[in-house]
Amino acid sequence: MFSERRYAIFNVALILAAVLLALNLFNIHLPSVGQAQSFFDTEEPSCLVDWQGEQTQWYDLDSCCLQARKQLSCEPEVGGWDCGAGSDTVHYVLNDKAYRYCQRQSFWP
Amino acid sequence: MRRKQKKRSVQQRVFVVLAVLVLVLGSLNIAKAKGLLIPEQPALAIENNVIHLADLTLEQKIAQMVIVHGGLYNKEAFKSMQIGGIHLFALQDGELYKDTINQFQTDMQIPFFVSSDLEGCLNPFSNFFSSPAARSISTIEQAFEKGKTDGAFLKELGFSLNFAPVVDLDDQIWRCRSFPGNAEHITELARSYSEGLQGEGILATAKHYPGKTLVVNDPHKVLVSAEISSQDLLPYEQLIPGEDVGSIMVSHIIVSGAVDSSGVPSVVSLPVVGNLKEQYGGLIISDDTMMLGLRNFYDSVDELYVAVFRAGNDLIINFDEDPLEIYRMIQVVSAAVERGEISEEQIDASVRKILTAKGFKVE
Repeated sequence: MFSERRYAIFNVALILAAVLLALNLFNIHLPSVGQAQSFFDTEEPSCLVDWQGEQTQWYDLDSCCLQARKQLSCEPEVGGWDCGAGSDTVHYVLNDKAYRYCQRQSFWP
Repeated sequence: MRRKQKKRSVQQRVFVVLAVLVLVLGSLNIAKAKGLLIPEQPALAIENNVIHLADLTLEQKIAQMVIVHGGLYNKEAFKSMQIGGIHLFALQDGELYKDTINQFQTDMQIPFFVSSDLEGCLNPFSNFFSSPAARSISTIEQAFEKGKTDGAFLKELGFSLNFAPVVDLDDQIWRCRSFPGNAEHITELARSYSEGLQGEGILATAKHYPGKTLVVNDPHKVLVSAEISSQDLLPYEQLIPGEDVGSIMVSHIIVSGAVDSSGVPSVVSLPVVGNLKEQYGGLIISDDTMMLGLRNFYDSVDELYVAVFRAGNDLIINFDEDPLEIYRMIQVVSAAVERGEISEEQIDASVRKILTAKGFKVE
């Protein structure tokens, strides 16, 4: 059906897929590109609590991530993310580093 | 005429083997993600709304003590485990909430507690329901009305538990979550709010015991500590005797002063949770256990799981998205009970409270 060379390429791809699937099955996580990005990003993670335009820095990043996760959506904005569930509720404004950190938490899908 | 058989090359044979392997691994991953690898708990013999605790397996009892994040993508796994409660994050509209809750509750012998975080300025329903911030509530009548309105709304959607009112005296981070005034006034507003909420059939949760949770904001610490005053405890001291609230949520902060957590986070502190339990017969709920500060306090997550159950919390929140991790937590705690690190009587007492709150008669 295919040439021998093509089969060789398919096999390499399948071996890679099998290794990744096996790792995921046994909960073995490899360092991701996101973590590498975080490593080289020297900016401090930042979370702002925004209630009707009044913003307060919140240093408990874990709790901030959980609150952000509970929102309807996180929309990208300049330099970060705005997580909220409507106009009439508290919003959480995270910079990119904080958002990447949140994405690695077990409560983030 | 005999058909001529074509001989497959080595590469072709390897291809077939690998393709089958990838298919099998892929299917196993899908089964894992859907929680199909988790064994289903046995059905219960419930007659005339009476549950015999002895009929529940240890795993079923521990599962009843857990609140997870409920999403349609993980519902089958949590239903199989017979988890005690689901907490819903923000969704698009009321119909989606109703549908999600309905899908979770269908065919459950013991219904899930369904909880939310409707406080006011923290409002996951903000997209389609407005609720005044606690800070804007100043009279007992307003507090009652807010509780009644929030309660009727939650009941209509299918909720049974709300993680409100906040009775922390001062909110320096959000500046909208605490009621205004001094400790006495905050207590009265919280009582009135809870009366309105619970009158509609929604359990109220006073939080975050023992206080100062919305004040501490230390950039240098993952896990913060605070000095608790007698004023911080006043709302609890006044709400507890009459059981004005159906539950109390315990925070993660390390406390000293009027309450001393002996250098560990409140939620895993035997003195903090134990003393509260001696005074209070309602449900004691842990704040989410997957916070890094709390996890880093222990060498392993397993130690944390055992500690949070051993401390005496009745309902343990774990929002880990992986149902297998929730199942593992149940196994770890079950093993700790079998080793005698946690008494089964303590587990039974918590489950009795939970099932009673769900409307069952427990024998």
